[in-house]
Amino acid sequence: MAQSQTTQAAAPAVYIPPVQNVWGKRLKHLGRVARRNKLGAFGMVIVIFILGMAILSPWVARYDDNEPFQTANPRYNPTANPLDIAQDPGISTPFILDRFEAPSWDHWFGTDQFGRDIYARIVVGSQLAVIIGIGASIIAVASGTAVGLISGYLGGWFDTIIQRIVDAIQAFPGLVLLLLLASLLDEPNIPLTVGALGFLGFATSVRIVRASVLSVSQMTYVEAARAYGSTDWRIMARHVFPNITASVLVVFSISIGAYILAEASLSFLGLGPGDKTTWGKMVNSGRNALELHPWESLFAGTFITLAVLGFNLAGDALRDELDPRLRGR
Amino acid sequence: MTNYIMRRVLLNVIVLWIVATLVFLGTHALPSDYATRRAAAGFEQVDQTEAIRLAKKELGLDKPLWQQYTIFMGELVTGDLGKSYETRRSTWAELKERLPATLELGTMIAITSFLIAIPVGVISAVRQNTWIDYVLRGFAILAVATPVFFVAILMSLIVLKYDLFKIDIVGAPHMWSDPAAAMKLYIIPVLAGGISGAGGTMRLLRSQMLEVMRQDYIRTARAKGMKDRAVYIKHALKNAMLPVLTVMGLTISGIVGGQVILEAMFDIDGVGRFLLRRLTERDFPPFQGTVFLISMVVVTMNLLVDIAYAWLDPRIKYT
Repeated sequence: MAQSQTTQAAAPAVYIPPVQNVWGKRLKHLGRVARRNKLGAFGMVIVIFILGMAILSPWVARYDDNEPFQTANPRYNPTANPLDIAQDPGISTPFILDRFEAPSWDHWFGTDQFGRDIYARIVVGSQLAVIIGIGASIIAVASGTAVGLISGYLGGWFDTIIQRIVDAIQAFPGLVLLLLLASLLDEPNIPLTVGALGFLGFATSVRIVRASVLSVSQMTYVEAARAYGSTDWRIMARHVFPNITASVLVVFSISIGAYILAEASLSFLGLGPGDKTTWGKMVNSGRNALELHPWESLFAGTFITLAVLGFNLAGDALRDELDPRLRGR
Repeated sequence: MTNYIMRRVLLNVIVLWIVATLVFLGTHALPSDYATRRAAAGFEQVDQTEAIRLAKKELGLDKPLWQQYTIFMGELVTGDLGKSYETRRSTWAELKERLPATLELGTMIAITSFLIAIPVGVISAVRQNTWIDYVLRGFAILAVATPVFFVAILMSLIVLKYDLFKIDIVGAPHMWSDPAAAMKLYIIPVLAGGISGAGGTMRLLRSQMLEVMRQDYIRTARAKGMKDRAVYIKHALKNAMLPVLTVMGLTISGIVGGQVILEAMFDIDGVGRFLLRRLTERDFPPFQGTVFLISMVVVTMNLLVDIAYAWLDPRIKYT
């Protein structure tokens, strides 16, 4: 306000519209949405927390995720002869791994069976969850939008074929399809896992985008564009696509949680990216000593749930804001 | 109606053909095929290429891809799901031993998930915006977000900690021989699968119930003096169940996926664990056959659901 008054005072002859604080306005709008949709705001907070953890992981992880912790063995006897060692094996090693430690100030979430810090592994694991969730979503949305746009706009035999392929993909139980795709290579890696999950999401994206395209194609402005001789490609790019961006954004945000969940399942089964630290793998390795040392499984599982919950809630909120018609799909 | 069913069946045949092709292409794109593995195992001194060639010939992998494809399709059409490279037994024989366990588990999971989802969805809608609604909705949102294996782990932890049910892990009795013991063994996987499977259904049923309860016929039913409970169950639930039925296909494929994980976790010798094992051993034919069979079951279920839908809702015209 103060700004606009000074400008007007400097040049009273012409009216210069007050400089608007665009970001302030957007923040205010965001605040209104957050108050209206408290669950969505909660989800967004979790998402920011998880994203922050993934981006800042080198600084907040405290330790290396593969570093085994050990303490000096007080009973170590370097001069012990084999006979003594045979009687008391505890004196042969200079260091003992800090296995299965309960949460403490040194190890916030405790240590696992190899003496590695669980907190560090959780933080590093968040990177993979985020990369896979968002990466798979990008692939699914990009391919699904392109195909759904063409299929919905052109119709005809191309549409029929695409719809049958989509039916076929959806007829596969998701995990079975993932098993098929994720083991395409001997050593599953990140790009392949992302691709497999994206392929799984492709069918759903095509469905939703196509439905939006069908309704937009009925609009008068599309008819007008066709009447003055626009080519199909131009209509799709300039008239249909800009009007389905809401659905595209919704499709992007709504399944990130599902991809994280699916990746966790794959990793849990030992079919995820091999050499990386992942939450699913941690839950599985924690099962070895579940009864006595449940920390690893508990923390990793909680973080999977938290991440999926956050992305789901935020995605739902975005859908309700942008395109409430998609509710329930 | 007959026309509609015929067309849907025909469409499903096409879908299944695409599924079969995808399965074939998927498994044959695998770089390390079984023959190489088999030749590599134990024959270090012998000429590898010769061993691979022999193994390939024996397994029919030396033929061109299109020929393997026609053989694969021909077998599928005649109902032959192929033979295991590993055990040399037909997939059917292998599956037959494992189907009972899987069907038992799957049926129990499906029933449990509906037993959880229906009351929760109805109560949550009827008591909209009360504390019980918030609690139940929170439960549903968490159920969707929690991986099935984590639910199972949490339950195992509770059961282990308090030694509930006195579960005896050794031995896997079947439902018909010793129902009580089988129930004890299955209780964690069934509850875990049921809760995971119920999440989506609960949320959909709640929103459908809310939608239906705004309709005129509900007001009419109330106006003629029907008891609340009767209105909810006779009028509201019946109509709210229709859309829930359509996503039942999705629920079923979710349960199938969860079952693969649960069978692997609890070492239940069922179809899911079989599938996983064949895959890790690159033993394609049983894997292909099983994936195809599962897809066929899911597709058929979807068809039945659609037909039931058309039959239950007279507003839908089948053309």
